[in-house]
Amino acid sequence: MDISTLGGQILGQIPLGDIVLYLTPFNLFMFAGALIFTALIAMSRTETQIEAEFGSLKDNEVKVGLEEFKIRRFLAIVCGLATAGAMITGDLFNFTLFVALIGIVNIGIVSAVKQIDVLNAAFQYGLIAMIASLPLFGGAALVLASTGTLSLLQLSTLASTTPMMYFASLLLLMGIAGETGVAPFYATKAEMFRTPGSPFILIIHLSSLLVIVRAIEILLIINKPF
Amino acid sequence: MNLMATILLNVLIAFLLGSILFGLQRKIMARIQMRPGPPIIQHLLHTLKFFVKESSFPRTAAMPFYVAIASMLCAIWVSAVIVGPVAQGSLLLFFGIYALHKIVEHNAGSSSGSPYGKLSCVRAVFSAAAEVPLFAVLIIIYLQTNTMVISDIISYQAANGPLLFTIPLAAVMFFVLILSKAPYSPFAITKGKDIISGYETEHFGVLRGYLMISESIAWYMLLWVFLTVFFGPLGVMGYLVGMLALSVLTAFINATTPILNPNHSIMVQVTFAFIGIFGSILLMLAF
Repeated sequence: MDISTLGGQILGQIPLGDIVLYLTPFNLFMFAGALIFTALIAMSRTETQIEAEFGSLKDNEVKVGLEEFKIRRFLAIVCGLATAGAMITGDLFNFTLFVALIGIVNIGIVSAVKQIDVLNAAFQYGLIAMIASLPLFGGAALVLASTGTLSLLQLSTLASTTPMMYFASLLLLMGIAGETGVAPFYATKAEMFRTPGSPFILIIHLSSLLVIVRAIEILLIINKPF
Repeated sequence: MNLMATILLNVLIAFLLGSILFGLQRKIMARIQMRPGPPIIQHLLHTLKFFVKESSFPRTAAMPFYVAIASMLCAIWVSAVIVGPVAQGSLLLFFGIYALHKIVEHNAGSSSGSPYGKLSCVRAVFSAAAEVPLFAVLIIIYLQTNTMVISDIISYQAANGPLLFTIPLAAVMFFVLILSKAPYSPFAITKGKDIISGYETEHFGVLRGYLMISESIAWYMLLWVFLTVFFGPLGVMGYLVGMLALSVLTAFINATTPILNPNHSIMVQVTFAFIGIFGSILLMLAF
């Protein structure tokens, strides 16, 4: 299979030992997008949420405290860098590591918030993310066991897909869906977005969607339907 | 033609045509509802008007995030024009652009501090859960054509006929996605009038202008991708007639259908996605 049929023409390769990064317009755009958003998060203040106060005509202002701001900003930047890494890596194991890191810091970004509903949502999402780490790494391990490589460039040159690789792909998909909290796990994660701190919750959403888009490319590289 | 000139020309066409198609939609919807409706160029005039209006920023907004996010939406859809009509690049890249669009839509709402924007933000997260499966249509196109590159998909259709006839359910899925982006659509939960203007509620002046330009380009691009990947090689007239027909069809649907509540909207879209994905795979296996 030609890798350029997915992300466009290969513009270059960066060999780092046995890990070879390949650069297509798709990878570069996603990598740059993740980095731009991360830079924006690093330099932004948080918003003040205005809510109506019951029993009076006053407004209730919900702000992010300084200590909370610092730790959440740090975790959001780590999440942004992990997302950028997941977009550019040419190695399946590195991809799963980045995805697992995204899952961990996503919980961290909201766990500093002192709102019961948000913490409940983060707890439930955390449970799913932890459970999903087993199929995530198990899938990558099965790909290695059945093909002898984790390099996406090498995987794209394999002639056929064995049943074990199909099974590994299914595990990978389950792992990625759980770690990123996409459908059908999104209902849990959406409650986390009610917290103030717009720049930080951006990265939770950004990481999920970008990882899913990259996962489509990776799963189509592993599985050859033709 | 010079590459930069080609990009500028395509962006200009996307903006003008997208705006006029939006205006046409409002006109048709109004006539169906027995109202005279605004002129067809109203959306275009409305967009231009915001560039000469005073720009003000809420004191509660997350700066400079609030300003950057609206400007980035514009940049994202200009990138889509480059990937689509200009370079005819990868559909996967277009999917990436759409994902970034969802993120910007989500954060334009939350960054202002307005409760209406915040509700729109939470709804955008829900709607992403439905729209991402709908975008699985790209995988079906890949399974059918063996490529994600738009120019190769056009060549495939030139040799084998339009994909509309081979994977019709995938076309329906993509149409539902287009419908969800139309104003006043049953799936337009992020901009429902129950939350004023959703994520646009606290954007004024130039920022609102950027959002409106982006909406027009996004509408043009979604129609362009639909016509290109399901109807194959089309001329200028083909694209014009196709975009007109799709806009009229969405106007009829929007005029006669109330906006669904968020849960129903998501479930209807997910049902379309489920039927589309599995139905298309079954059709491909059968034929």
